[in-house]
Amino acid sequence: MSAHDAAPDRTRPDGPNAPNAPDDSDRVAARARGLTKAYGAGETAVLALDSVDVDVARGRFTAVMGPSGSGKSTLMHCLAGLDTVSAGQVWIGGTEITGLKDRELTRLRRDRIGFMFQSFNLIPTLSALENITLPMDIAGRAPDREWLDQVVDTLGLGNRLGHRPAQLSGGQQQRVACARALAARPELIFADEPTGNLDSRAGTEVLGFLRDAVDRLGQTVVMVTHDPNAAARSDLVLFLADGRIVDEREHPTAETVLARMRRFAQDGDQPGGPAPVGRPGILRRTSDDRFTRVCDAVAEEA
Amino acid sequence: MLRATLRGFLAHKGRLLLSGLAVVLSVAFVAGSLIFSDTVTRTFDRLFASTAADVTVAPRRDLAPPVRTGAVRTLPASLAGRLAKVPGVAAAHVDAVVENVVVVDRRNQPVGPTTGAPTIARGWEATGRSGVRLTSGHAPHGDGEAVLDADSAGRRRVRIGDVLTVQAPTGTFRVRVAGIAAFTTTNPGSALVFLDTPTAQAKLLGSTARATGISVDAAGGVTDTELKRRVGAALGAGTYDVRTAAEQAKSAAANLGGFLKVIKYVMLGFAGIAVLVGVFLIVNTFSMLIAQRTRELGLLRALGADRGQVRRSVHIEALLLGLTGATLGLAAGIGLAAGLMRLVGTFGVRLGSAGMVIGWATPVAAYAVGVGVTFLAAGLPARRAAGVSPMAALADAEVSGTGRPLRTRALAGAVVGAAGAGALAGCAVATRTAPAVALLGAGVVLTLIATVVAGPLLARPLIRVLGGAFPALFGSVGRMSQRNALRNPRRTGATAAALTVGLALVGGMAVAGASVTRSVDRRIDQTLGADYIVQNRTYIPFSPEIGDRVRATAGTGVVVRQRLAAIAVRLPDGGRVETAASGYGPRLDAVSHLKYAAGNTAAALAPGHLAMDAGFARTHGVRIGSVLPAEFQGGRRARLTVAALTDQEQAEAFGLKGGLLLGLGTLDRYAPGGLDSALYVNAAPGTGAGPLRARLEKTLAPYPNVQVRDQADYKKLVHDQIAVLLRLVYALLGLAIVIAVLGVVNTLALSVVERTREIGLLRAIGLARRQLRRMIRLESVVIAVFGAVLGLALGLVWGVCVQRVLALEGMTALAFPWGTIVAVVAGAAAVGVVAALLPALRASRMNVLAAIAHE
Repeated sequence: MSAHDAAPDRTRPDGPNAPNAPDDSDRVAARARGLTKAYGAGETAVLALDSVDVDVARGRFTAVMGPSGSGKSTLMHCLAGLDTVSAGQVWIGGTEITGLKDRELTRLRRDRIGFMFQSFNLIPTLSALENITLPMDIAGRAPDREWLDQVVDTLGLGNRLGHRPAQLSGGQQQRVACARALAARPELIFADEPTGNLDSRAGTEVLGFLRDAVDRLGQTVVMVTHDPNAAARSDLVLFLADGRIVDEREHPTAETVLARMRRFAQDGDQPGGPAPVGRPGILRRTSDDRFTRVCDAVAEEA
Repeated sequence: MLRATLRGFLAHKGRLLLSGLAVVLSVAFVAGSLIFSDTVTRTFDRLFASTAADVTVAPRRDLAPPVRTGAVRTLPASLAGRLAKVPGVAAAHVDAVVENVVVVDRRNQPVGPTTGAPTIARGWEATGRSGVRLTSGHAPHGDGEAVLDADSAGRRRVRIGDVLTVQAPTGTFRVRVAGIAAFTTTNPGSALVFLDTPTAQAKLLGSTARATGISVDAAGGVTDTELKRRVGAALGAGTYDVRTAAEQAKSAAANLGGFLKVIKYVMLGFAGIAVLVGVFLIVNTFSMLIAQRTRELGLLRALGADRGQVRRSVHIEALLLGLTGATLGLAAGIGLAAGLMRLVGTFGVRLGSAGMVIGWATPVAAYAVGVGVTFLAAGLPARRAAGVSPMAALADAEVSGTGRPLRTRALAGAVVGAAGAGALAGCAVATRTAPAVALLGAGVVLTLIATVVAGPLLARPLIRVLGGAFPALFGSVGRMSQRNALRNPRRTGATAAALTVGLALVGGMAVAGASVTRSVDRRIDQTLGADYIVQNRTYIPFSPEIGDRVRATAGTGVVVRQRLAAIAVRLPDGGRVETAASGYGPRLDAVSHLKYAAGNTAAALAPGHLAMDAGFARTHGVRIGSVLPAEFQGGRRARLTVAALTDQEQAEAFGLKGGLLLGLGTLDRYAPGGLDSALYVNAAPGTGAGPLRARLEKTLAPYPNVQVRDQADYKKLVHDQIAVLLRLVYALLGLAIVIAVLGVVNTLALSVVERTREIGLLRAIGLARRQLRRMIRLESVVIAVFGAVLGLALGLVWGVCVQRVLALEGMTALAFPWGTIVAVVAGAAAVGVVAALLPALRASRMNVLAAIAHE
């Protein structure tokens, strides 16, 4: 993934305003051009995403960081086809998803995208195995047994498959969610704060699985996170602030990420200049102490 | 605290809407039936008060037969002259009123009502007490002139100068319409034909020396009571019934109000079922609201609210709901009563001339029912709310779980269920009707309670089975819907309970109805040997002239008349039974297959003889050769010898206690002037049944009140009459279903809200809107079918027990209406689909992002 307004090498022939996606879907899993998302209208409009251009590279682990209200979750939702965009275009592989109808979007999510959420979001009435195969069951497809076994083995869920979510620990539940995201072999996995509700040991474990999924299973993962340690496990970190991608770091470490994040905290919320429209004050106000706390905690550890 | 409660009530008003609707429905039916019956009472009181003479003298009513015998009781017309001389009497008029005439127009169409309401022929009185006022033409004079009431004239387009045929018990005669008279107060539903009084006496009663009553007017200053005393003294005590105007009005109103009373009871039945089912809905809604607000209640407790305050806050919410529901229900009840009045108007009964009557009892009852029911139903949830601990505010319980274990329920359900099963078993083996009915009642109530209490426990196994095919048929969508239905068995059980109650009732009645139908069929097959029966649709007796005409029809073989007469028999064991006896003409054996335990038809029908049911005889110590003192209408006494004992399955059906049977000659001797209840007709040798039917129908064309029926028609007539009753039950079920649907909607809507995050996730990972809707629909269907199956199972058990009780009365056949049962289960599934419409739509419209966003 590379953010165009920040990336130094702009080698691709087509510009950000190209009307159609270039057919390099073998290399790019998801792409956005001029992606803009505004909430509300007129005077009270707030820009959550401000003309973002982004490419998610296939087979890589990308992290998205930024203060609360920076638009990172919105970015993920728009890329995943969960949310509509105000302007711009989004592609998953070679398919433009902006303008797709709900039914086509649903099918696209079902067949091509995997999700992990902060609060696990497992179906309490289904067993672990049933949760894992749910997207394929919904699609009416039989799971690939061999692959499923491999995923289950990798995540160490073999002896937990018959359990209901309520009988599993938080870490185990998130592993089930991870298995669910992987089981259908989606083109792309979106993970929204996957370690947010876990203790550090379970969190490290889950991050390890995501890392493995990329390295060993060749998956593409996009992870939204607050946690510099989590971001450090990725191949590339994108920094979002006020609805724009303001920076990126290849092969990050916790320290480099933390240092960058600290600058946000020190600069206030305007590392890349203020958002041009709307009422930036609203965005600023949402930057929360949790973020500062995390930064401080990480700094102490370091 | 009160402010918090009010805010809570308003915040949840959407949730409470459905419960409120249940309250409105119950109250509307209660209020509607009260208003209706008050209006009926007022209207008829006015009608009869305006038509009753100061004092009325009538033949003594000594026997009250359980069926219509058609006998017209008379007294000597000369009494009028005698009474006119009594001091204090201003005038005494002769009444000649016959209630079961048939009036047909030129095209042989009946002019009067065909619904069972009477067509009355009577003498014209100029006293202003006739209840009518001449609007055109003139009063009837002499033979062959009549005045018709305006309603009938309008309905049948009869004009002055038209010729009508009057078929009275004494014979048929023609009249020309001389005038039209309108009802001054109201029309109680009957048709009226007026003749001048001497003509009425001669034509309707057979002699100008007879009268059906004497109307006595008081002289100035003499009260009705005083006049009654004087008239009574002049006539001699106990010889005649003497009534004041008030008494007469009351008894007339009571006679006529019967049909309208049925409507009142039906309405109260609806109210009852609405209340019963509504209670489940309200309990469920409040329970769910409290489960949802556990956190909020915990916070209130943590902030220092004590248990009483929390409980009161729920009670106040219930009170507000009850008050709102009762007020709206009262308004709806007024509308319902207006609708009912219009409905009975289509039957020719014009109510409301006195205006709609809303007595003080109506609003009192409405609020008592509305507030009482709501308050009662909210009691349990209120206790539960008070039990919420302050810790609940801190706990992270997001979705209300399955709650406390169901052990208490299991225990209570088992104990009550065992008691109920015991009672039903006792009912099934009982040998006498009275204890069997008592046990049946107790068993029904107890098993119903047990089923409702244990419903949540039964949900798990039953829904596993009912939804067992879902995963295979609908994949993960099916699996999730089945498990969602099992998620909170308490809630599922309570939701399904409304349907269970309604369907148990229907199941029981349907089995009873089918069993009675089959029993009657069997009896008809076993006992009826006639080719044709000539009978009135509503079993009203008809003129003997019809029998004469039938007999004279070419191709007719044996014709046996059946007549009924009121009779009282003193039994050897000292008892006295008041019943009706059937008199049959000779050759009864040719048209029926009676079985005798002793004796035979010839002996039974011989003069001065009598046959009775063998079982009844055994119970009361009657033997062949016993001589029983009998008493007929009008004080005629006889001593009848028991010559035969019949062995019939349903000898005592239709309230004919003792199954008394005698010869027509004997009957006519002691109860002269009777009418025929039925004619049993066989074709003459050499005549086909088909051609005979055509001829009989031609003969009977001028008599639209009777029809020719073969055995199949006769069965159909009986089936139709049972079906009318069942239709009423199905209407009750309809109401129960409406409320049950509200309950299912309620539950699903709340579940959808509770499962927002889950639904969001499912949508995120690719569940299509259609699939989501299907998931909710399947859950709804499985809950509804669960309720239906439980209810039907219970209903079938009840039905079998009801049949056991009926068997004691001779209805020995047991039949299951499988068609109805299958239809009901299919209907329940449809109900589930309908109930899921809105919640499913709501779930599918849910914003995916809002649903999965973290708090």
